[in-house]
Amino acid sequence: MKASRTMFVLLGLTLAASTSFAEPKVVIQYDCIPNYANWGGVTAAYEKKTGVRVPPDMKGSSAAMAALDAEKRNPLADVAYYSGAIGFQAAEKGLHQPYKPAAWDKIPATLKDPEGRWFAVHTAAVAFIVNRAALKGKPVPRTWDDLLKPEYKGMIAYDDPTWGGTSYTLVYGRNILMGGTNTDFGPGLAYFRKLDSNIVHYPRESVYNDVLRGEIPIWINADGNGLKMKYVDKGDIEVVIPEDGSVSMPLVMGMVAGAPHAKETKKYLDWLFTDEAQALFAEAFFMPVIASALPPDLASKFPSNKEYEVVRDLSLADMSAAANSLKQAWLDQVKNRK
Amino acid sequence: MKRPILLIMILPALALIFSLLVWPLALLFVSSVQSTGNAIGAAPGRAGLSLSNYVEILTDPWYFGALVNSLWLSFSVAALSILLCLGPAWLLVRGDFPGKSWIRALFTLPMSFSGVIVGFLVVIMLGRIGFIPQFMESLTGRAFLSGSAYQFTGLLVAYIYFEVPRALLTLESSLKKFDFQLETAARSLGAGRWQRFFWVVLPNLWPALLSTFSLTFCVSLGSFGVALIISKRFALMPVEIFQQFTGFLNTGLASAMCIVLVAIAFTVNYGLRMLSGRREVPSA
Repeated sequence: MKASRTMFVLLGLTLAASTSFAEPKVVIQYDCIPNYANWGGVTAAYEKKTGVRVPPDMKGSSAAMAALDAEKRNPLADVAYYSGAIGFQAAEKGLHQPYKPAAWDKIPATLKDPEGRWFAVHTAAVAFIVNRAALKGKPVPRTWDDLLKPEYKGMIAYDDPTWGGTSYTLVYGRNILMGGTNTDFGPGLAYFRKLDSNIVHYPRESVYNDVLRGEIPIWINADGNGLKMKYVDKGDIEVVIPEDGSVSMPLVMGMVAGAPHAKETKKYLDWLFTDEAQALFAEAFFMPVIASALPPDLASKFPSNKEYEVVRDLSLADMSAAANSLKQAWLDQVKNRK
Repeated sequence: MKRPILLIMILPALALIFSLLVWPLALLFVSSVQSTGNAIGAAPGRAGLSLSNYVEILTDPWYFGALVNSLWLSFSVAALSILLCLGPAWLLVRGDFPGKSWIRALFTLPMSFSGVIVGFLVVIMLGRIGFIPQFMESLTGRAFLSGSAYQFTGLLVAYIYFEVPRALLTLESSLKKFDFQLETAARSLGAGRWQRFFWVVLPNLWPALLSTFSLTFCVSLGSFGVALIISKRFALMPVEIFQQFTGFLNTGLASAMCIVLVAIAFTVNYGLRMLSGRREVPSA
């Protein structure tokens, strides 16, 4: 008897609490992982400023797209964040509604959909992340051709591109840089076949710690990961943007079609392109899409503008169209060598 | 009176087996006999039934190679872990020495590690700058075994590492049932050491060896975390399955690969038990 009364009181309290706490405004973002690209810091700053909460969400790009697709008739999310090609695909599937954030004109044309169905919030660039101590006196490689030198045998790794977006971008991008197209993979694959003899293995799990430890002296990956090793984990790391060209990896967002909190979402997206929010992304070493927003003290930690000059933007449309055939061709001709 | 209670008692297990084994297997099978692109559990497409996925596994050199590799690795691992564990198991059953339970606990520790952790351990020991190559270099000036973690050697070591506890426990529990008086009797009848081993011990031990083999073989066949971490080019079936699912959303082919593995595991398990002449489930 007494227990049930306690239950009633508790139930009443919970109801009261849920109604009073449901009052504050929210924006639901799929793929909002707090320790990735400083989303934790960004959303905390936004809540402090406006009182609008953007709760964390641990779905990755592909899962975010799959969830939006499943909820198409009854959308629960307002915005989603993705690695470039997947965000593009989500827009193509009609999962987004067009919206152009206030700073629209400052976003480079190659990093947004003309209609506003997707737009990049920050970018990364393909780089060689080099553990200098582990090279044991060998020179730090500066170009893609350097990587082919026999002295680096068994010292290089790049992630299996069939598992991760970053590595897919790198394989796709290298092929474009070498004169290939989104249907002709010949030049790029010929390069990766040669590189194969210097490869330790093709990781399918994060080898971040292996690189810091020196097990893998050279990792071809996003520059931001290397900068984090250098400045946060204080490793003897050099981040090299290959002198003979590299490609950017945009990370994009889109406003969900039928977003339940549309008005708040638009304000939130506008804010993400302010200098304040853009600088917060830069703290996690993701390059702000609005270049002027990069604070000088952080800018000195990134590779210089001159080094970044060789970085090309890729067409997300071509990149997502080539995904399955390039992954299969890489497996057949590089990894599995049929 | 006893029957209904027994029925009620096995009902949860039956429900579990049905919902987690029979039903998913049926879905996998349905998906495997359709041409690619259908999500598991989706209604059969209009294209109808097709064995193309199975044909692909058997005719494509890469997939067939992965299957052969899986079988070869599992066979080697099962055989070697029995060889490795027979002595210790014998000692644990017959011997009486201080710290016995500690040794048993130590041997069975690897069972609690996930494949991914075992993979990292192997990289730390046999990686490019692994402990063993570094040690070799300090001794001989050459880093022997450097990077062997990413080759067949690394896989073999890692798999044996986590099969040892299974082999040890299975062998130990079977050896406990072994009637050691038989050996004593043979000795008193004048049989020599090898005669006793081949004509008395081995025939009686045979079922234990077979059941241990089938257990370790089947676990290795399906194991996956280690290979995911360390194999560079050595293809294994479970990794190919994962790749088809996640990399290409090719559920048809992935399902067919699953069915092939399940069929092999079942055949080996059942066949060896028939061979060993008893139908008991191998104790693990």
